Amino acid sequence: MKIWKYVVAIWMTVVISAGFLIYIPEIPILEQTARNIFFHVPMWMTMFVLFLISFWYSIKYLNEPDPVFDIKASSAASVGVAFGVCGLLTGSLWARFTWGSWWTFAEPKMNLAALALMIYVAYFMLRSAFDDREKRAKLAAVYNIFAVTTIPFLLYVVPRQLTSLHPGADGNPAFSEITADELRFILYPAFIGFIALGIWIYDIHHRYNRVKLELENS
Amino acid sequence: MQEDSLAVVDTLTEAYSDQWAGAASGEETNAFIQFMSSNDLIFVVLGVSLIIWLVLIFFLFRVDKKVSELEQEIQSNKTS
Repeated sequence: MKIWKYVVAIWMTVVISAGFLIYIPEIPILEQTARNIFFHVPMWMTMFVLFLISFWYSIKYLNEPDPVFDIKASSAASVGVAFGVCGLLTGSLWARFTWGSWWTFAEPKMNLAALALMIYVAYFMLRSAFDDREKRAKLAAVYNIFAVTTIPFLLYVVPRQLTSLHPGADGNPAFSEITADELRFILYPAFIGFIALGIWIYDIHHRYNRVKLELENS
Repeated sequence: MQEDSLAVVDTLTEAYSDQWAGAASGEETNAFIQFMSSNDLIFVVLGVSLIIWLVLIFFLFRVDKKVSELEQEIQSNKTS
């Protein structure tokens, strides 16, 4: 077992504890739920990183059709989707108690985030449609490159142009005067911790898929 | 006013026992319980989250180890 995994385990334990324990200023409406920022936002950051890893291996696959690249691309995408689902669910719960509704259909960030995840669900549906491994890998790689290009538009470019309750919309940066500065001391370590955790899960996932491939080939 | 049969003991309106853990007042409990009860019980939420996190991370370590074992098995099959 590599040493960085123990570091991630301890790091994340500290981040979770600190997220509950640090003093946070009183913010109207948010109150103690401001602590959610330490857990909700890193879900999306982790998803982005995993989708980028997936994108990277899709390009590599198209350059050199090695099945291992395909396995890495699909594993990263599936762990990314899992983190994205966590982001949607935590966002929905948070919205219920601050915006007053589980889901707001006028809320661009929420709906477009759901759409982004559906694009990745389609990636797995596309994969399941082929029995031939090479064909599946090649088409999935091409589709994945298309899918990843939609992510910045769906989650950043478009929501910023529209009116929204979500921070980071309507021309605002996500972190502005309205958000307390102290939150950054936990938020940034939480980004690092959750991204490392996501990469760890991806590491296990792709190794499992590789073992499966080797067994199928032997 | 204890009845003969256990089935008719009324535990809804009567205390089942006068030794009731939840009823202990603040001064009687130990330091840990007092700490956990402070700050609107937020430390209980922290405790629950840490339990979930530690169990999940333990599980993750185990799965990681199992995959490593399979990899080594495949590796040794290849060389032999």
